[in-house]
Amino acid sequence: MSDLAIKMIDVHKSYYLANGEEIKVLCGIDLEIKRGEFVALMGESGGGKTTLLNIIGCLHPLTSGKYFLEGEDIGSVRDDYTLAFIRNKKMGFIFQQFNLFSRLSAWANIALPGVYAGIDKEKRDIRALELLKTLDILERKDHKPTELSGGQQQRVAIARSLMNNPEILLADEPTGALDSKNGLEVMDIFKNLAKQKKTIVMVTHTAEVAKYADRIIYMRDGKILDNNYTLKSDY
Amino acid sequence: MYLEISKMAWGALVSNKIRSFLSILGIVIGVSTVIVVVGIGTGAKKQIADQYKNLSATQIMVMGMMGRGAITNTKLKAEDADVILQKVSNVSDTTAFISGNDTISYGKESSSASVFGIRDNFFSITNLDLLEGRFLTADDNEARSKVAVIGYGLAETLFGEDFDSNQVVGQVLTVSGGKKIDIVGVLKENGGSAMGRMSYDDAIFLPYLTTEKTILGGNTQATIVVLMKDVDYVESGMEDVTAVLRVEHNLKLTQEDDFRIFDPGSMVGAAQESANTMSLLLISIATIVLIVSGVGIMNVMFVTVAERTKEIGIAKAIGAKQEDVLSQFLFESIILSIGGGLIGVALGQIIIPILNKFDGWYVVPSFSGVILSFTFSALVGLFFGFYPAFKASRLDPVDALRSE
Repeated sequence: MSDLAIKMIDVHKSYYLANGEEIKVLCGIDLEIKRGEFVALMGESGGGKTTLLNIIGCLHPLTSGKYFLEGEDIGSVRDDYTLAFIRNKKMGFIFQQFNLFSRLSAWANIALPGVYAGIDKEKRDIRALELLKTLDILERKDHKPTELSGGQQQRVAIARSLMNNPEILLADEPTGALDSKNGLEVMDIFKNLAKQKKTIVMVTHTAEVAKYADRIIYMRDGKILDNNYTLKSDY
Repeated sequence: MYLEISKMAWGALVSNKIRSFLSILGIVIGVSTVIVVVGIGTGAKKQIADQYKNLSATQIMVMGMMGRGAITNTKLKAEDADVILQKVSNVSDTTAFISGNDTISYGKESSSASVFGIRDNFFSITNLDLLEGRFLTADDNEARSKVAVIGYGLAETLFGEDFDSNQVVGQVLTVSGGKKIDIVGVLKENGGSAMGRMSYDDAIFLPYLTTEKTILGGNTQATIVVLMKDVDYVESGMEDVTAVLRVEHNLKLTQEDDFRIFDPGSMVGAAQESANTMSLLLISIATIVLIVSGVGIMNVMFVTVAERTKEIGIAKAIGAKQEDVLSQFLFESIILSIGGGLIGVALGQIIIPILNKFDGWYVVPSFSGVILSFTFSALVGLFFGFYPAFKASRLDPVDALRSE
């Protein structure tokens, strides 16, 4: 078993406009992320951070290159069943805008990946309840997302990402929609998860958030400029 | 798994009640229309069957010319029936009757009734059944007995709606001119009629010769019923009967027939055919309504998919397969169409009795209408829901997540 959670070799990603023009978003990414490592992706807007995260999360196919997930070459997989399985069991996604289902209660939102995994309702409910406790939002379990504060919503979203106990968590600006107090609380949760040996890849453009990571990867114009970026000392 | 997804589909529909309701309205109207329309078709066919139930397909009827057509001195006589039986091949039986109207009284009650002067085999040829007493016999005719069998409706009119048929047999009626007639039999309720107007229920049946002598007079033209051995002989039988009667009536080649001949069986066929055509037409209109309502559902589902694009993206990001997304949206449209179908079935059951309260409406609720329309509505949901659901399932997760 490889000790690398994620390995990429010369990954390219291009979009094609209607007139046939090619837009290169990623131009030759080489990346290695170890199991249990907490990595922050930083860089300018439009630098390709989110695209890279989406490729890691199997939401995007890559245009060329190799992508190994836990040692397995999945860069060429296009089969919906396999990709959905990876997104469901191997990864947990956390978004800036929480992306909860507004019709469902916090409890049901957390349990939803369990539905897609085909877990029994009873087991699902127990697991979701555990996560509600762990993330300290148990008393909010029956509330709809609109009845929760931003911080609470992000806790629900984190709980949802942990539902099927994935190895890897992918977070896209998880504190971007929160005030600083709630943002720090969310980062403490991430720190705890990192201690539990979860592999975490987090996109951020805030140094304050990035400093929680073990390592910072800095991107610009679709390339990795620095694989171990050091923040300026005043942070 | 599918249970969970169908629950989610239900939740989505409930959260948008007005839209869900509007989108099923077309299905509701379509399904209830199909049910009512099939009921109208069934009703029309049943009405025709009732109306002609005393006719058999092997019958040929011969009637005398009336009014302006009566250019000759000859008239159709009961004896013509005997000649036909003798001379025309493949005839199983013939009978003759005369008919008219008279006022029939019992005590203070009186009623205008159709009077039939008949031969003893009339009842078997017209498939009439006896409720009480006996049929008329050949002896009654020979003796010109003043006896009668009365129809169920006439018995109700004269003796009250809850008459005791036992009591009615043996009672004495008065016909025009004060003549007394003994009731020897009462017929079962029939509902049909021979020629559309004359109902056997409101008729009184007397021996042929008695009627000719005492009620209708000797100038009345007879009606002859010829029963062929098989439907296949009806066409040739009509030609043969015509030829025999022309000879019997001494008609020259240049003279037209002094009688009318027709086979009621073909009338039944024609009436049934037109009823079938009508119900087919109505069903196709209702089908169009259902298809249009299916397009309505498709429309709504496209709007729903567009609105929930982001949701689809999230669902895919947390592990929903294309199949899961497809089945959720498909469930939504099937729930809509089945729900609409159920409401439509209920509405149809409410509308039918209301329509039947109006004169001239005769709608028979039919199980096949319910099954037909319900199945069709479910298929409409499946068919028209599939494309939007398919589109939803194929959305690119990243594009879907980006939409607001």
